[in-house]
Amino acid sequence: MLSEYLPIAILAALALLFAVGSLVASGLLRPHRPTPVKLSAYECGNDPVRLPRGERFSIRFYVVAMLFIIFDIETIFLFPWAVAARELALFGLIEIAVFIALVFVAYVYVWKKGGLDWAGGSLTPIEAEAASEAPGPREEVGIRAG
Amino acid sequence: MDALDWALLVARVVAVFAALLVAVMLTIWFERKVIADFQTRTGPLRAGPRGILITLADGIKLFFKEGILPAMVDRPVYLIAPVIAMLPAFLAFAVVPFGTSVTLFGREVPFQVADLNVGILWILAMTSMGVYAVVLAGWASGSNYPLLGAVRSSAQMISYEVGMGLAIVAVLTYSGELSMTGVIEAQSRVWNVIPQFPAFVVFLIGGLAETNRPPFDLAEAESELVAGFHTEYSGIRFAMFFLGEYLNTVTVAAVATTLFLGGWRGPWFDGFAPWLGPLLWFVVKVVAVLYVFVLIRATLPRMRYDRLMNFGWKVLIPFGLVWVLLTGAVVVLPQEIGRRGVLLAGAAVLGLVLLASFVAPLVQRRREVAS
Repeated sequence: MLSEYLPIAILAALALLFAVGSLVASGLLRPHRPTPVKLSAYECGNDPVRLPRGERFSIRFYVVAMLFIIFDIETIFLFPWAVAARELALFGLIEIAVFIALVFVAYVYVWKKGGLDWAGGSLTPIEAEAASEAPGPREEVGIRAG
Repeated sequence: MDALDWALLVARVVAVFAALLVAVMLTIWFERKVIADFQTRTGPLRAGPRGILITLADGIKLFFKEGILPAMVDRPVYLIAPVIAMLPAFLAFAVVPFGTSVTLFGREVPFQVADLNVGILWILAMTSMGVYAVVLAGWASGSNYPLLGAVRSSAQMISYEVGMGLAIVAVLTYSGELSMTGVIEAQSRVWNVIPQFPAFVVFLIGGLAETNRPPFDLAEAESELVAGFHTEYSGIRFAMFFLGEYLNTVTVAAVATTLFLGGWRGPWFDGFAPWLGPLLWFVVKVVAVLYVFVLIRATLPRMRYDRLMNFGWKVLIPFGLVWVLLTGAVVVLPQEIGRRGVLLAGAAVLGLVLLASFVAPLVQRRREVAS
């Protein structure tokens, strides 16, 4: 029933009113004396060397985001089963075990490929592969020595 | 619905709203006092008796502080982010039952804003909205520290959300209910914390990480990121992030109470104000969970980021998955093959695991010798 959500709508309106109200009220009452130094990006008192607009950051964050989608959807799929586990009985249990096992295979694959390793001491397999394919300086030395 | 129903409904919602604000005020004071005790300081003393009004004083101070709007921000997003931080925090609490009900003017007023039949999903949905505030605030600030803090903490929050979700799935499987009242109903004999203790621990860890509380407060690791995603926020806008964060903390404690600690259940005198007992029990349990949170903050140092991610992905998630399956087996199998069958099967699995743990080192040693 949608009417169940009525109190929540009232609460949301109240919270929004509180937020916007205090922002506006504070905006009217507080001092407003901007200076160029105040308005610059905070970097411990130095002039900011570069600003992050368009800056790139580590690819690992994207990997985490993609993995999150897989596992979050898995969790969401577990919810209907969790509620009906007793009615679905053995059939449901086996079915969900198969489902979890399938995602688990992907999980193990990602783990082995180093997708779960956050910048630790050692290279991840992907990085090691890339490093071994690239002609390293050490090999050149070896050739010269030979 | 007539006028009285409407009046009671609005009054109920306003009361919960006000109570949440007061709860946040008291939680911050409580945390500061307890941490001060741990460090043999006195903590806040001046504002009100024992400094209980310190949060109010801080709030008023922040309200009248200059709100700097830095030059390089993305204006609309920068201004909206604090509101996004606060709204879902309020809404998540809406489905938590904080007592039974009270009869006023011949009408029954439930101690809950809304008893949604998808209660737990609602909480998950609202807590995941918190990520948006962090990402938008960090990105819109157009500054280095906020961006780093935002990217970091969004990765952290989504990683631990999965673990927390799995803990909730286990509880749901065990109680077979999706609404918060149903989950409390299912705990009439024994609290979920006993049969579902591992899920409780996973939920608490996930909850700490979701709310960016120590030892998972890498979003605002002041030793490396100044203040993380809200570095460029000041005045009332910063106060909103702060409010949202503590609201989330209170909500996580309340949800932990509901899912694992029996909610408002507890012994009470017969006939004397039957609504008061459950309410008091609920508050006592929430404060107990909050105390554990503060205890953890006072005890543990901040985690290193790579360890944090490794723990979330390599420990919490597989453990959660296994625990969900195990719970499912415990719930389903007794109706299929009887209790004795389950015990036998369990013993067989345990035996196999033990055998494997004996054999595996032997095989490995042989392989090492061979090589």
